Amino acid sequence: MLNPIEATNLSRSFGDIKAVDSIDLSVSSGEVFGFLGPNGAGKSTAVRMLTTLLKPSGGSAQVAGFDVVKNPSTVRKKIGVALQDAAIDPLMTGNELLRLQCVLHGLPKRSSSVRCGELLERVGLTVAGDRRVGTYSGGMRRRLDLALSLVHEPEVLFLDEPTTGLDPTSRIALWEEVRNLNQDLGTTVFLTTQYLEEADQLAERIAIIDGGKIVREGSPSSLKSAVGAPTLRIDVSENDLPSARTVMNRFGEERPAQKNRIAIGLISGTPGITDVMNALADSGIEIQHVELDEPSLDDVFADATGRRLEGGKA
Amino acid sequence: MSSGNAPHVPSLAVVFAGIHRGLIRLQRIPSLMLPAVLMPVFFVVAFSGSFASIVELEGYETDKAVNWMTAWAVMQGSAFSGMGAGGLAGTDLENGFFDRLRVAPTRPMALIGGLVGYCVCRALIPITAVLIVAFAFLGADMPGGALGIAMVYLSGIGMAVVMSFLVLGIVFTFKTLKSLAIAQIIMFSSMFLSVGQAPIQAIEGWLHHVAAINPITNVIRMCRQGFLGEVTWSITQPGLIALFGMMVGTGIWARIRYKKVDA
Repeated sequence: MLNPIEATNLSRSFGDIKAVDSIDLSVSSGEVFGFLGPNGAGKSTAVRMLTTLLKPSGGSAQVAGFDVVKNPSTVRKKIGVALQDAAIDPLMTGNELLRLQCVLHGLPKRSSSVRCGELLERVGLTVAGDRRVGTYSGGMRRRLDLALSLVHEPEVLFLDEPTTGLDPTSRIALWEEVRNLNQDLGTTVFLTTQYLEEADQLAERIAIIDGGKIVREGSPSSLKSAVGAPTLRIDVSENDLPSARTVMNRFGEERPAQKNRIAIGLISGTPGITDVMNALADSGIEIQHVELDEPSLDDVFADATGRRLEGGKA
Repeated sequence: MSSGNAPHVPSLAVVFAGIHRGLIRLQRIPSLMLPAVLMPVFFVVAFSGSFASIVELEGYETDKAVNWMTAWAVMQGSAFSGMGAGGLAGTDLENGFFDRLRVAPTRPMALIGGLVGYCVCRALIPITAVLIVAFAFLGADMPGGALGIAMVYLSGIGMAVVMSFLVLGIVFTFKTLKSLAIAQIIMFSSMFLSVGQAPIQAIEGWLHHVAAINPITNVIRMCRQGFLGEVTWSITQPGLIALFGMMVGTGIWARIRYKKVDA
């Protein structure tokens, strides 16, 4: 069976600028797929092509089993879309917008009322449903946007930077909602984000896009482990320092560390920490403090592009 | 992008939903209607008073200026109302809401139809306002009777549809509210280069030739005929043909330019 999202050599140019440059994508059913990249990397352009809003300049894409160019209407029936900035008519109420969305997706009037109520409850907007959207907070707008994209129970949900501009509490609440959707309904989620933490928290698999090209793809843990071994740091007393160093050097190459602290690149990865602890205990070394730093997705991005996602040099 | 071959959501439901949405907005911001109502009412009051004696000239076919000017004001109000479609579409394009509409499995003409239908509803307000002012306060006559009134509404609604399509095509092309300025220029020039203010006999030079071929001339004549005398087929038919032609032309224009939103 074809994956819900398949793209081959998908490209889009604006004049001489290649916004998306021959990307291949394959997202499995029920997966949360993160599309990570800085502003202007091509994330939104890719989403607009996959959601039939923009014609590709080259390549092809199938969403929910249908070609986005040849069968856009069928694709639109099967997808839910929450685009950047939660573009919602501020003069209308949440309820009115949901009802409009039901009509746009051909839901019968009778079931629409029930559906609207369910969705408002799901996103915690039952009380605010009859208020104009203009009075909503950023988080409420995002949640309504999510509800709007769910009225027709889509197979595939596209979320374009769903938490940009939200405060941390609203962001976490939205993550929880996306997780629930994925787990309860098995909805395939294609999520674009510029936030490392968001991709790390939500996505089972990530593609990193930069300059219109996919530069890395894989699960967050595999991408991070590919960058290098995690750094294990332990604090011991000054007396134990030489023997602790000898023990730890058996498990990896020593890395620079502060006074009374030893750091190594743990060759066996995170699971190897137990062996190190046991070996230190066997040697009678008292450990005062332990830290394990995994490479971050920012390290992955830096490794792939030579730049930090936040803009600093790698 | 093409609409594909899958069944779409029934268009009539989408059209009515579009009209409903527009009317909700209108109810919440009634000031949206101010230009479309005040301008034509101002026109009919000011022009009927200032040019009261103009009807003594040849070609006016009436003894009251208000009988001549009311149709002109109705056309203005309808055209202004038609611009509301562009205003709403432009706002939606600028804030991104239009993408939410476009990503639904609906026919583009259903979305366009909702905007145009909303403007038709809007147009009923200035048409009625102008008629009330003309009859109640300015002493306008209607020898054409109920049929004459029907012609006023038909012409006004038709003009609102034509202007809606035209403005939507412009807004879809430029994807900004600012492009309404272009629509206003086109609207004003096409209205003024007709028999709106003066009969064709009183217009000279190139203006005469332009007014003679301007299809809006025939629509205004259709609208005005009930104020001047009986409603006749000889005036109604060219008006209907002109309206139909303009609707088809501007409708195709709007649909073609809708594709530009994808670009």
